[in-house]
Amino acid sequence: MSSKPHVIVIGGGSTGCGIARDLAMRGLDVTLVEQGNLTHGTTGRMHGLLHSGGRYAVADQASAKECMIENRILRDIASHCVEETGGLFVKRPEDTEEYFQKKLEGCKECDIPVEVLSGDEARELEPYLAKDIDKAIRVPDGAIDPFRLCVANAASAEEHGARIETHAPVVDVLKEGDEVVGVEVEHESGPGKRVHREPGTREEIRGDYVVNATGAWAGQIGEMAGLEQEIEVRPGKGVMTIMNTRQVDTVINRCKPKGDADIVVPHETTAILGTTDVEVDDPEDYPEEQWEVDLMIDTLKELVPIIEEARTIRSFWGVRPLYEPPGTGTSDSTDITRDFFLLDHADRDGVENFTSIVGGKFTTYRMMGEDISDHVCDKLGIDAECRTDEVPLPGSDDFSVLRDYMDEFGIRSPIGRRSAQRLGSRTDEVLDYDGPNPVVCECEAVTRAEVQDGIEGSGSDLNAVRLRTRASMGNCQGAFCCHRMAAELYDEYDEETAYTAWDELYQERWKGERHAMWGRQLSQAALKYSLHGTTMNRDKDAATTDTVISDFNAFDTGVGASPSDGATGAAATDGGKRGDD
Amino acid sequence: MSDAQQPSDFEPTSVADDFEAVDIFPSSEDMDLRPGADNCYKCTSCDTSCPVAEVNEDFPGPKFQGPEQWRLKRHEDVDIDDSIMSCSNCMRCDDACPSSVPLSQMHNTARGEYVEEHLDKLSREYLRNRMLSNYRTLASIGSKIPRLSNFVMGLGITSVLGEKIMGIPSERDVPEFATETFRQWWKKRGGSKVSNPDKQVAYFHGCYSNFNTVEVGKAMVRVFEEFGYEVLVPKQQCSGTPMFANGMLKDARREAEVNVRELGEAIDNGAEVIASCTSCSMALRQEYPELFDIEGIEELSEHTWEALEFLRVHEDIGQAIQESEVDPQAFAYHAPCHARNQGLDRQAVELFRDLDGVTIEDVGESCSGISGTYGWKSEKYETSMKIGAEMFDHMEHAEGDVGMTECPTCAMQMNHGTGYEIRHPLELLEEALV
Repeated sequence: MSSKPHVIVIGGGSTGCGIARDLAMRGLDVTLVEQGNLTHGTTGRMHGLLHSGGRYAVADQASAKECMIENRILRDIASHCVEETGGLFVKRPEDTEEYFQKKLEGCKECDIPVEVLSGDEARELEPYLAKDIDKAIRVPDGAIDPFRLCVANAASAEEHGARIETHAPVVDVLKEGDEVVGVEVEHESGPGKRVHREPGTREEIRGDYVVNATGAWAGQIGEMAGLEQEIEVRPGKGVMTIMNTRQVDTVINRCKPKGDADIVVPHETTAILGTTDVEVDDPEDYPEEQWEVDLMIDTLKELVPIIEEARTIRSFWGVRPLYEPPGTGTSDSTDITRDFFLLDHADRDGVENFTSIVGGKFTTYRMMGEDISDHVCDKLGIDAECRTDEVPLPGSDDFSVLRDYMDEFGIRSPIGRRSAQRLGSRTDEVLDYDGPNPVVCECEAVTRAEVQDGIEGSGSDLNAVRLRTRASMGNCQGAFCCHRMAAELYDEYDEETAYTAWDELYQERWKGERHAMWGRQLSQAALKYSLHGTTMNRDKDAATTDTVISDFNAFDTGVGASPSDGATGAAATDGGKRGDD
Repeated sequence: MSDAQQPSDFEPTSVADDFEAVDIFPSSEDMDLRPGADNCYKCTSCDTSCPVAEVNEDFPGPKFQGPEQWRLKRHEDVDIDDSIMSCSNCMRCDDACPSSVPLSQMHNTARGEYVEEHLDKLSREYLRNRMLSNYRTLASIGSKIPRLSNFVMGLGITSVLGEKIMGIPSERDVPEFATETFRQWWKKRGGSKVSNPDKQVAYFHGCYSNFNTVEVGKAMVRVFEEFGYEVLVPKQQCSGTPMFANGMLKDARREAEVNVRELGEAIDNGAEVIASCTSCSMALRQEYPELFDIEGIEELSEHTWEALEFLRVHEDIGQAIQESEVDPQAFAYHAPCHARNQGLDRQAVELFRDLDGVTIEDVGESCSGISGTYGWKSEKYETSMKIGAEMFDHMEHAEGDVGMTECPTCAMQMNHGTGYEIRHPLELLEEALV
């Protein structure tokens, strides 16, 4: 261990990554451990809203003010993760004027710049808004890509010397007496970048201080540390449904007190509908139900009617890590505060060198990181200033997306523009690629250069490449690119590794696709299945099974044979069995 | 939706019929076609049917030009990839798509945006394209002095200057102007010889039958009169086809407003609209309602027919043909892409194979490659001829040494590639029936 104090951050979501970057920039030695990919937990399962604070301006003004402050900072330091879409709070005829006025006043009180638009003005801005929207309040909401943000925070932390370990779940919190002295993790494929099929290892990582930034999982880590008092995180699940195209380019909120299904967020090439709030017991295991998806579409079509006819490409659920101090006893989880809490376990439980951060929200991740970093530095007796509010993240330096991509990189302008919107100031570094640079993912306009950059950053893990590049996240859901992405792994990684990574990507895509199995997305899935099944044997590849096929006649008795030639029970050419119609 | 449950209100995939973006926006320039991308499964049928992509590997193809490019658009994005100018607007992709993606609408709209936002209005390309797409204006001047125009255009120096100054390939022969336009003939003739308020058709002759192949227009009139129709020839402008293909949507709208109004009057009086050019009928039927929101545009779309199509539906033309006979002759027939898109690609062959004396052979599915003004551009000439190569080859292998097609520019290309004389089905119909 170096002479610098070593802090272990558990959790690779926005909060953990933010803390890791902050502490590393202050000169501390930092190790971040995450059980899955970065954003594996709640961060990767949010609707991508960069709050202006408008949503909290009536009920929770402290949060609203924080949001607006952080919103301004993130536009600066995370410009390549943020799209300045603006937002509207729209009022339907049945929504009360009283609440509209409260919202307007609340925003003003919280320093949120507002503008009132008539229904026609709002529709001029967003032509697909319902014809009967009365009026709207315009606020500086934005869209933010949580994957890119976390990856950029982690990359910045690494630049400042931090160690980032993904796919390394904590299996134990190490203690000596009442002091936490480290954690034990299980590397799924050895330390460092993930490479499939490498044997797992265990590692004890020792540190001077441990920060538990695991959100909905905070209670489980607390248990490992043997805390007497449970960390009472109250996980609340919420569904988000992804539309195939952007019906709106502005965030659309419904201007009424709390409710389900009241927001549409334009996100990259899609629009995300959200959400619900139902308390669950286990953040890993909860039902994903049809009524939740139906509710999104049925309710939000009142704001944007075209949604009813539009194509959805998948749905996903996230678990909010809501927390309230013991004894508050709020019965309805939607009423639980969105504020964050710093639980120093020395004060709370008599366990030294261990703090948990719980509650809070994505937009204020940086502020939470700053608070806890101040706290950790204070505990460790270090005097260092926070700089995360002024130093841009990697990729967010001054940059223009308007250029001639054909001349510079030999790629078509919409491809170049989307690449540059994702890569920000890293565009030249990534797209200046030696060799042919074809488009790998057509839906999201991702070229080989960008996929290779993703592989360089995350090993053979194609899901991590997906999060970095958006490859396979478009309307075909990987039908035309999963295999191309896997092929990009070769020959740095061998065939078996590529196949394993490919299978894993399929499964991850299917997890969300199966919640959109009707209409056009059902057709899409059928096409994907038949393409991959019939051309690549991906439904069941004989080469990947141990079964040795000795009797080829069992499959096809050949030209001229009548169906009765095949013995009953033998496989028919269509893959079914003979005799079982 | 949980995988264990069935959606309660399952409805089969909705087709593009309920795609209504057009109704929301006043003009194509502001049109948001992103929702049209919902229908695309990326199956690539459109790319495999694209004649330009087949011969030009730098061309990214209709899937990219259409649903992909639109889906990638954001509100503030204005840049359209310049490859949209390499699309010939043959519209084969529309026909190839199994799920009704509004491909050509997306292409036309994107091209319009590209020309409006990115093409330098003083560039040679813009000026040349503007000139080509406003052929009617050019032709109406040229045909005032047809003999002099034809003489000047026929000069070697003219074609060299055309190539150098305007980017018009010197290989091509500029079509000759008729010494008397169709409308002049019509006026001299005293209009229709038949008066029949119950059977009226309004003839949309388009530019080419008026200024160049006047005999096609005359044949249309005589054939329809033979069947007892009163032919009306309303005031009309260019259908807009060359303007769509060159992204000159404002010009096209200007022309469309006149056509919708004038033809609309005839429709109100009970007439059906008949075109002898399949691209004109395509424009009136499909592109008009897709691109413009003008009162009466849907009615015009619903009441427009191609000449042969109309007769096949409304008259027993098959019987009439079977009972007729002409001098022995053999034709190599090419179906224009735009005829194909209207389901008309087999009509001439099906009809004339029953005509005594006639041998007619379909020369195959390939595109002629000229696509209106496309092949009239120096930088596209080579692509145009590569696309046409298959058709030339098939024509030469066909028994006939006279070509036949409904489309005037396909006819130019057929003649250019083989030296054959090219006839219009209406001309043969006139020979057989009148």
